[in-house]
Amino acid sequence: MKMYIAQTEKSAKNIVVDDMILTTDMPTSAGSKMLDGYISLFQAEAATKLTDAGYKVYAKANTGEFNLDLMGETSYYGAVETDGVLTTAAAKAIKDGEAMAAVTLEVNGSSARGAALAGLTYVKPTYGTVSRFGTIPAVCSGETVCVTAADAATAKEVLWAVKGHDDKDGTSLPQEKCVFDEVKEIKKVAVAKSLMTGDVTKVEEMKAKLSAQGVEVVEISAEELLLAKSAWNILMSAEVCNNVSKYDGVKYGYRTPNYTDLDSLYTNSRTEAFGYLTKSVILFGSETLSEANYYKVYDKAQRIRRVISEAIAKVFGEFDAILAPVSSKSAYTASEAVANPYMAYEESLYIAPAMITGLPVVVTDGVQLIGPAFSESSLLALAEKI
Amino acid sequence: MDIKTLERLQKLNQLNLTEEETDTLLGFFETAEKDAEILSTVNTENVERMVYVMPMTNIIREDIAKKLFTRDQLQEQAPEAMDGYWQVPRTVD
Repeated sequence: MKMYIAQTEKSAKNIVVDDMILTTDMPTSAGSKMLDGYISLFQAEAATKLTDAGYKVYAKANTGEFNLDLMGETSYYGAVETDGVLTTAAAKAIKDGEAMAAVTLEVNGSSARGAALAGLTYVKPTYGTVSRFGTIPAVCSGETVCVTAADAATAKEVLWAVKGHDDKDGTSLPQEKCVFDEVKEIKKVAVAKSLMTGDVTKVEEMKAKLSAQGVEVVEISAEELLLAKSAWNILMSAEVCNNVSKYDGVKYGYRTPNYTDLDSLYTNSRTEAFGYLTKSVILFGSETLSEANYYKVYDKAQRIRRVISEAIAKVFGEFDAILAPVSSKSAYTASEAVANPYMAYEESLYIAPAMITGLPVVVTDGVQLIGPAFSESSLLALAEKI
Repeated sequence: MDIKTLERLQKLNQLNLTEEETDTLLGFFETAEKDAEILSTVNTENVERMVYVMPMTNIIREDIAKKLFTRDQLQEQAPEAMDGYWQVPRTVD
């Protein structure tokens, strides 16, 4: 595990941020050889807000390359395991007592999986309520700064410190939208049968816990949620393809020593610096944006995004939250994740519905609760209660 | 997806794959394309595209020039720079 330490003096207010969040006193490399050792001239708004609120941005946690993978296994610096089980560096920092919370950029579900499999609490707020200024862009239309902590109260405390409108982020919502203090009691939860695949033990346990709390739990089919995986993988790949096209070995980042002209400088720099998953995502994304596929694939995925969003809105007309698994298994090894580079694509079945719609998610006791926009307080209150 | 298309994509994106990587990627494309077929079963004729999930308004601000960083600062992490310029291989003979 590689973790840059900014301040050696430990404090009860230590926060670890991940390798996608720019800081000026520690390198930010997005887990990529392309940005190995890169130090930004400015820092992310989330890091500034943490410091302003009295927290110490203590260390920088390793991530997978551009946070696209399962849980950090594609990092240039290697995967992080605890007792032979794959975890994220951010989750490990909290479990080891190094930090009270982690503030990370959720791109493709690795933060949610890291939290769920480590038994931590995680909150991905409604898209646009935490500034993305100063985060390394990968999937701009869905990625969100999120918080992981040992419990719901701490996750809430830290989220409240980083949320708020930011003029520097064009996708930041007005300040009044970033105030979501109202707690509505969650009385009725839907379990999407379409997502109940793989190991659903934790979901079954949560169903029992919710019922014991007097929450009505109802199974629904919600077949539209199955569309999210494909649509998300298409949109995610297309956006990554665009966002990483700037890494060419000219102005900053890795430059190959093996070049004879500009063309070989670009190609060899990118070929040597990007890992296999990132290359695959770029090429798949590029194909979806090609003239032959743009309307058939990319444009279609944008329209499907609305179909899913409207289907979920209908569910929330009757239910207060959707309960679903976060992953198909309760543990992974780094070697199995490395052996199957497309595991993150497959596992996006579970995280895609909330990523593609920008809806808030709270992970607790190894499961996720997806709520309507701005329902973070209600979801966290339920997580605290159970 | 065929080898020729994949070669074109590599060229477009300034990337080279090894033979083994190419084989694996072709398999992935096949799976992803099959996966995407589910989308074609949904009629989206009268559905509008959803680019951003939250309603966005254009932010207008005064067009005021600001010098946030100096050239030296910006070139601190340049792989190669000379006399205040980013250095690249010769492009004109």
